Amino acid sequence: MTQSDKPSGDQEDLRLLRESARTLFERAGGSKRARTLRDAGGGWDADMIRKLAEAGVFGVTVPEEDGGLGMGLAAGGVIAEEVGRVIAPEPVVLTVGLSLGLLRRLCPNDARMAQLIGGETVLAVAWQERGPNGGPAEASCRYENGKLTGGKAWVVGAAGAQGFLVVAESDNGPVLVLAEAGADGLSVEERRQADGSAMGELSFSGTPAEELASGGAVQGTLAEAVNDTTALAAAELVGLSERAFEITLEYIKTREQFDKPIGSFQVIQHRAVDLNVMCEVAQSGVREALGLMDGETDPKARARLASRAKARAVTAARKITRDAIQLHGAVGYTDEYDIGLYLNRALVLSAWLGDDAYHRRLWFEAREEEGAAQ
Amino acid sequence: MTDWNAMSDADFRKEVRGFFEAEYPEELRHLPHRPKFAEIEHWHRKLHAKGWVAPAWPAEYGGMGLNAAKLLIFYEEQQRWGVNRGRDMGVQMVGPLIIKFGTPDQKEYWLPRILSCEDIWCQGYSEPGAGSDLANLRTRAESDGDDFVINGQKIWTTMAHDATHIFMLVRTDPDAPKKQQGISFLLAPMDQPGVEVRTITTLSGETEFCEVFFDNARTPRENLVGELNKGWTMAKALLSFERIFIGSPSLAQNALGQLESFARGRGAFDDPVFRDRFAQAALDVEDHAALYARFADQLKRGETLGADVSMLKIWVTECFQRITELMIEAAGPDGGTIGPLQVGNVSVDVLSSFYKARPTTIYGGSNEIQRNILSKAVLGLPG
Repeated sequence: MTQSDKPSGDQEDLRLLRESARTLFERAGGSKRARTLRDAGGGWDADMIRKLAEAGVFGVTVPEEDGGLGMGLAAGGVIAEEVGRVIAPEPVVLTVGLSLGLLRRLCPNDARMAQLIGGETVLAVAWQERGPNGGPAEASCRYENGKLTGGKAWVVGAAGAQGFLVVAESDNGPVLVLAEAGADGLSVEERRQADGSAMGELSFSGTPAEELASGGAVQGTLAEAVNDTTALAAAELVGLSERAFEITLEYIKTREQFDKPIGSFQVIQHRAVDLNVMCEVAQSGVREALGLMDGETDPKARARLASRAKARAVTAARKITRDAIQLHGAVGYTDEYDIGLYLNRALVLSAWLGDDAYHRRLWFEAREEEGAAQ
Repeated sequence: MTDWNAMSDADFRKEVRGFFEAEYPEELRHLPHRPKFAEIEHWHRKLHAKGWVAPAWPAEYGGMGLNAAKLLIFYEEQQRWGVNRGRDMGVQMVGPLIIKFGTPDQKEYWLPRILSCEDIWCQGYSEPGAGSDLANLRTRAESDGDDFVINGQKIWTTMAHDATHIFMLVRTDPDAPKKQQGISFLLAPMDQPGVEVRTITTLSGETEFCEVFFDNARTPRENLVGELNKGWTMAKALLSFERIFIGSPSLAQNALGQLESFARGRGAFDDPVFRDRFAQAALDVEDHAALYARFADQLKRGETLGADVSMLKIWVTECFQRITELMIEAAGPDGGTIGPLQVGNVSVDVLSSFYKARPTTIYGGSNEIQRNILSKAVLGLPG
């Protein structure tokens, strides 16, 4: 099936959305901001969050009747690409995909929805747990009598969040609860990431938390929100890869050795072309996957598409950011040049929610299951 | 006369698919080799009677007059059903040049004969010293009374041993300041004493390529198409649509389907390493198709394609090769065996797919040449 055979979203709306997001980030200082914020301790800029909220960014996939723009995941991807281009540290994909991805499906009338869309608050989502061998493990964190016990790992945005949406087990099955930052019995260990951000390891000992939702819907919704977030992280990597390539292309056009720009040497040219092709394939594949997810209701098919997107985006970003360092030569290995910021951000985004090998495995399994079901 | 372009894309696709499925001879589906005309003549007659031999030609010359969008659908359906392109050099290459640059007499004489396959054409471009550097060609055509006299050699001439005519780029002005100048586009009959054809046996043992030797061969002066010494520009003008067609996902998609059924039958998917490599290849094909769709949409909106369309060819041909290499891997100890391998009710000719994939990165402008073009025309790199 070719792209024009299927119903397309409004391309013009997406174009306008892209333009306004790009302008907003560029006016704020582009990728320079990422360096400044990293050097200041790895947080984000509250003023930027407010501006993003004013532009409607956080509510992009929330239905209009619930206070969002109702534009779907493809539009979320457009914004994520722009975040990736300037490696903005603000928790855009986290909020759009995970926090609001959970709340808009489980409790659309909760007051926290409006606060998240309005940029007044950031809620990190704590759903994964670390097992004894250090890898991911089955969830065992408990919620009883209004209190949490246990731990959560790989919590993105933990350092600056006002609260935590925690998926825990209870006597009534899985629950989604909200624990305030700084609540009794909550400790947050920050693990520094390659890009300067912090991932949180949370431990709860009788930490008070408010129940937002419970029952069978919680697990399914979590899976859906994780699919969305995976796909959005892929889009963020696409934007990152594109910009990393542009910076590199500019560099090889201007850097001279042997009295010529190094971009006049054929071996450099062919490598640059390969990166460009990789970039374009990733952009088309990821955009198509997000668009198809908007029109798909079967959770297995959506999971397969999200895996397709992340697998491609990680493969492309790995190749592009690493080759970008090589093409920069020695200065690429310094902290002074921005290209390193892109490599470091790509490392973090690739590891988050699964890399390409992991997602190819999920993709293959989902495809086999769908094939068997037919 | 049907106005195909007025139909919806979906209706047109249905129409084309219906015709192929109902009329195309089963034994010719997905032919593993290039057929001689006699082998596909019965199909060509049906196509000719239907008026579908030349989908891209304007209706006034006996074509279907399809716009880019409909043309892509036509080719997609053709490839989907494994319909052989037939001996289409006349339709694809000579016809469009005559339509664009030919005289009224040339159009009247040649075009109907192309459609009916009364004349079967081969393409004389490459020479031993002019492959990627095509403008370096040396075959001479000199004026002699009412004729041109041709001396030189062409090579990689596909199916020349089953052609009645050759269209060629020849040097008509050896003293032109640039080698791209002084080249003309000439038509010549093959059946004459000065033309000798030798087949070239390929790695796969097939003989679809030929060498063609010209030793004082003659062709009437009226067989010059377009202006003298302007052949290079004319030939290049034709390539725009070809460049998306050569990057279409179909070859890789068909190979992937074969790989999947073969690997399943062989139990190769039990191996997690193989599963991952298959997933990589399958996703490479899927994401390429998304990029192809982006260029196709550009054509459908009536825009001209830029040089960046070449990236489709680079990606898909290299991907096609990896897929056929995986077939060999899945075949294990049978990986060197000639002919179809039977697995359950599936039969896959692993080596033939492998061989078929090899020249795709060489023909139509080698992938290295494509990278040169992209680096200069798209990335703006110097030198």
